[in-house]
Amino acid sequence: MFRLQFRNELWKLFGKKRTYMGFLMFLLAQNVIILVFRFSSGPRISMMRTLEGNGYLAQDFLSALTVATFMLFPLAYLLLPLYVALVGGDLVAKEAEDGTLRMILSRPISRTRLLLLKWLSGLAFSLVLVLALGGLGLLFARLWFPWGGLFVFVPGELFSIFAAVGGWHHYVAAVFMLAIKAATILGLAFMFSCFNVKPAAATILALSFVFVSFILQSIPYFKDLQPWFLTYHLNLWQLMFAQPIPWWRMGESLSLLLGFNLTFLVVGATAFHVRDIKS
Amino acid sequence: MIELQQVGKRFGTRMAVDDLTLHVSRGEIFGLLGHNGAGKSTAIGMMLGQVWPTCGKVRIGGFDVTAQRQQALQNVGAIFETPVFYDYLSGWRNLEILSHYTARTPAARLREVIDWVGLTGRERSLVKTYSHGMRARLALAQALLPQPQLLILDEPSDGLDPEGIHEMRQTILRLHRELGLTILLSSHFLSEVEQLCSRIAVLKNGRKVFEGSLSGARQTRAWVRLRTDDFAAAMTELRQGGLVVDEWDGQCIVLAAGVGADEVVRRLVAAGRPVYEIAPEAQTLERFYLGLMKQEREKPDRSSAKVD
Repeated sequence: MFRLQFRNELWKLFGKKRTYMGFLMFLLAQNVIILVFRFSSGPRISMMRTLEGNGYLAQDFLSALTVATFMLFPLAYLLLPLYVALVGGDLVAKEAEDGTLRMILSRPISRTRLLLLKWLSGLAFSLVLVLALGGLGLLFARLWFPWGGLFVFVPGELFSIFAAVGGWHHYVAAVFMLAIKAATILGLAFMFSCFNVKPAAATILALSFVFVSFILQSIPYFKDLQPWFLTYHLNLWQLMFAQPIPWWRMGESLSLLLGFNLTFLVVGATAFHVRDIKS
Repeated sequence: MIELQQVGKRFGTRMAVDDLTLHVSRGEIFGLLGHNGAGKSTAIGMMLGQVWPTCGKVRIGGFDVTAQRQQALQNVGAIFETPVFYDYLSGWRNLEILSHYTARTPAARLREVIDWVGLTGRERSLVKTYSHGMRARLALAQALLPQPQLLILDEPSDGLDPEGIHEMRQTILRLHRELGLTILLSSHFLSEVEQLCSRIAVLKNGRKVFEGSLSGARQTRAWVRLRTDDFAAAMTELRQGGLVVDEWDGQCIVLAAGVGADEVVRRLVAAGRPVYEIAPEAQTLERFYLGLMKQEREKPDRSSAKVD
């Protein structure tokens, strides 16, 4: 029964047009970035200078993997939170707003089970969205750039060089870790969605939480406090591009994100359990 | 089948349902009446475990809805005013989704119910292409899928055209006759309740002001139709003589206890008022309901009446 109910939740989620908004925007954004990178010389020359200035042959690393990773950063920071928060905020609140929740809850299904089904479908969405982001990015980049080594540069944070095979492994691992970031933001929006609020309010609250955390984390004077901010741990996917990978930090962030996710789920479930569902 | 014992629900400072006790027996069609905001939907919400009662007990089929919600709702189907579905999915998919929240439902059962409600041929169309009447039928289908013993209908005819209302009424009667379902019906349409229900309860401001059989409701007051040249003047005369206790719509009166129609005629004729007609008038549910509301408005205390 659980499998059937889960399949039905996926039907509901993936049957809606707005679920695909994120996929569509990723497609557009990735193609715009690739075309600008391919046909305007400025960004490429800047990257080549950085590589050559550090003693590397730029042509070995101006590859599909480098471009796909280069695109991953802005999309993961800006667009990904928006679309997962949009879907997460809808999961419960939209059904409550539309009235379908009342139809469901006239059935002998427990509220906890219903929430668990919805949360799992949200996780499935996060994974699919991030895989699409990583997969399509690499696919489009490959159409314009050759296969080769991976170069990742984040000023002040990362400067990494990988051979093609190693780079590919790091890229795949980073994409899977990015799914954890997506799932956590979705879980946050899902938690707000369980309260008696409109879907848009749940989405905005979740995004506000993430952006406030990001702003606090970015204030130089707060550098020592960074591990207390959610966004610091959400960026664990970036660590997959570090040389070497700081496994202790990965473990710390993963365990904290697990805690955050469980907290969001428990708070959401408690709020949902005590509230009255009215027309 | 349904038992509410001194149930109350408070939203902030407002008591939406206050000390409500109800009993709906197996096999009956029970009507829940009341104006907007009287507490009908809140009471239904509490029966379905969607609204948590502040106090009291709600039992369905012997199970406590708060503590044993799953067992209590196992044999319950429900329809709400303005049926809502996943418009972007087909009728079939909607039925599959909703029925699986109760139990695994075989395709043959889905086909059977779709056929029963008359949606065969349209079940694969998207719900957004359905008319209001078709949505009402789909709502009925989803309520019937778990093979319920109890059907809770919250304003099922809301928004339907006269033909749709008639069809819904016939369907409810058919469900009761052919499947022997217990039905709780909340409706604004008094004529609908009158034609369908054997017992009713009336709510006002969250409190039950009447519970009893429909025939009992009709016999609560003996109305007499009176036609004269000036009804208002006639009423003044009759009130002065203490012969009437109530009047209705410029044509009906309720005689005081022990007063006969002959006394009324004598009094009016003596006062020079012609009497063209005086005859017993059958009490309709509408008159009973409106009279009850008027009576409750005038009452200083808000105790409830009970007629069996």
